[in-house]
Amino acid sequence: MKELRILYLYPDILELYGDFGNIQVLQYRLEQRGIKSTVVPYSIGDTHPDFNDYDLVFAGGGADQEQGILAEDLLKYKDNIKKAIKNGVFFLLICGSYQLFGKYYKGVEGNIIPGLEIFNYYTEALADRKKRCIGNIVINTNLNGKETKIIGFENHGGQTFNIDTPFGNVLFGNGNKFGDKTEGFFLDNVIATYLHGPLLSKNPELTDYIIKHCLDRKYNDDFILEPLNDEFEKKCRKQLLDRFLTN
Amino acid sequence: MKNFLIILIMKIFYFILKICGKKGGNLLGKIAYDWNPNIFSYFKVNCPVIAVTATNGKTMTNNAIAYTLKMAGKKVISNTEGNNMETGILSTILKHCTLSGKIKADFLVFEVDESYVPVIFEEFNLDTLVVLDFFRDQLDRNGEVESLILRINEFLKTYNGNLVLNNDDPNVARLGKANPENNHIYYFSVEKYKYASKNIKEAGEGKFCPFCNSRIEYQYYQYSHIGKFKCPNCSYGENEIYKLATDVNLKNRTFKVDDIPYQIRFNSIYNVYNFVAVISCVSLYNINTKIIQEALAKFVLNNGRLEEVEIKGVSTIINLAKNPTGANVSLRILNEDDEEKELLFVLNDNIADGLDVSWIWDINFDTLNHVSRIITAGTRAYDIAIRIKTSGFDQDKIEPYLNLNEAVKNLYKTNTKKYIIANYTSLQPTRHALGL
Repeated sequence: MKELRILYLYPDILELYGDFGNIQVLQYRLEQRGIKSTVVPYSIGDTHPDFNDYDLVFAGGGADQEQGILAEDLLKYKDNIKKAIKNGVFFLLICGSYQLFGKYYKGVEGNIIPGLEIFNYYTEALADRKKRCIGNIVINTNLNGKETKIIGFENHGGQTFNIDTPFGNVLFGNGNKFGDKTEGFFLDNVIATYLHGPLLSKNPELTDYIIKHCLDRKYNDDFILEPLNDEFEKKCRKQLLDRFLTN
Repeated sequence: MKNFLIILIMKIFYFILKICGKKGGNLLGKIAYDWNPNIFSYFKVNCPVIAVTATNGKTMTNNAIAYTLKMAGKKVISNTEGNNMETGILSTILKHCTLSGKIKADFLVFEVDESYVPVIFEEFNLDTLVVLDFFRDQLDRNGEVESLILRINEFLKTYNGNLVLNNDDPNVARLGKANPENNHIYYFSVEKYKYASKNIKEAGEGKFCPFCNSRIEYQYYQYSHIGKFKCPNCSYGENEIYKLATDVNLKNRTFKVDDIPYQIRFNSIYNVYNFVAVISCVSLYNINTKIIQEALAKFVLNNGRLEEVEIKGVSTIINLAKNPTGANVSLRILNEDDEEKELLFVLNDNIADGLDVSWIWDINFDTLNHVSRIITAGTRAYDIAIRIKTSGFDQDKIEPYLNLNEAVKNLYKTNTKKYIIANYTSLQPTRHALGL
């Protein structure tokens, strides 16, 4: 039986916007195809994981206060994470964890939370704490040469700069900054984005792209994934794309 | 003079509204507040003011306190319609005060939106504040729970009145330390009930001690993050309990406090918490236990808060769920019921609901007990259908409808018992579609 191993970072801390749903969607789509999924949680105080032991690493977004606590913990694994990314382990990072993989996060009071500095982007909070990019968002991305619309929900105060390879172009909503044209960060085996929703719940093509990427790498093959009954997802996408894009 | 005029005009306006058969909601308060935001300080209140705040359970607890006090023969003014922001409270006062701003009552009892506590009671002398719980709720509208708690904590630093706090919610119990000079802190709690669990089953807050950042430890969870907790480092959580509910029996809808038995009309653990809060609060005013027993045995809310009705001869339970905890509590009641049943889940994403529906992924749909079919409806009918499908419930037994009437029509094709969960703006349209 084929298996994907998923490392779920700080599930008890980075769990604010239903991001755990991404794990559930991944597991669902794997299990429907008879592929085993093993999800290993890691949080502060647990034994040190080796990121190279996994096919996929996932982390979500959390409350500001708790994010500071874990940034310090994550820094311990900087070299290990760098190596895993180089080895092709897939990283899916949402919101707060997206920010943490950049150079730094500059808070409202000018305080700097150092990031892992794995990527060159950086994030700065807006001076006005109440001003946040909040709302439904649709972006257009390219998955293995196929243009795909991604639907999600963004809720972030941080404005992320210096992105060379965005996850997608914004069709509706803000993106990396207020009124931005691009959203997130995308590099072969890394997707870092502000999209909650949860992201994978309304975007089965993206989920399958990630699954295929992980399987291809692990089993050194070119998988064709068995189609699933996506009736609800299709109807949901049609309803929401009509609503958001035809105004 | 200005305030006198405002009140006079609002009274005339209210009179006209009444003739037209309207209640006015927040409108009177909105106009008066825009006119003079300092109007609160004009009112002369010579009776105790009681306020109830929380994420969930405000209306039920507030109305039960008002109901109990009335049953004890007191004159009570209360915003029992649920208008709980500053304008709603102001509307309630305007309707009942004299032109000189005097309020003649034995008690004012207000349900207050959690973000408005500091605003309203800055000017207004509060005698008792009851705090039930803090859960994640409409994050895109309210922001993170923590900032809300910090604002209330700030207000409490200079507050010396009675503070009735849920000792089983780490987010609430911490407020008892806001003002070390205040000797009027009363903690309530509920003994472990039958379905309490060792591990948390639903999304929760308050994982870290607010005083020393250590990870909080739980003996058990009653629901969500409500349970017996303690900080292993600084012992936060160990408080003397003023009122403790024991012998909780949800099937019979009974529990005891101080060995006195109480019968209630509701069957959820979270209602027990609400009613222990009621008992704690009214006990501070020496209300006779017999009257409290009688009041709680009679008290119901017919507005979609665990409303039990028969529709087309089919037993139906309707419950509002604005956030994950509300929905999880509803599913707890459903799962504690062994009969076969069908579920209707109505989910809207209007502004008042919060535009973000990702909270449905914090609802625990795992292992639903004897549910044979699920119908979903509302502007996000497909989102909730996907959510339920992903939890493992058979896709073929899920029917999504964007049209609510169609959903209700299909729901009553069978005679199986119904559970209905509806979020904020979908609740009344759902009740309407049901013919209520």
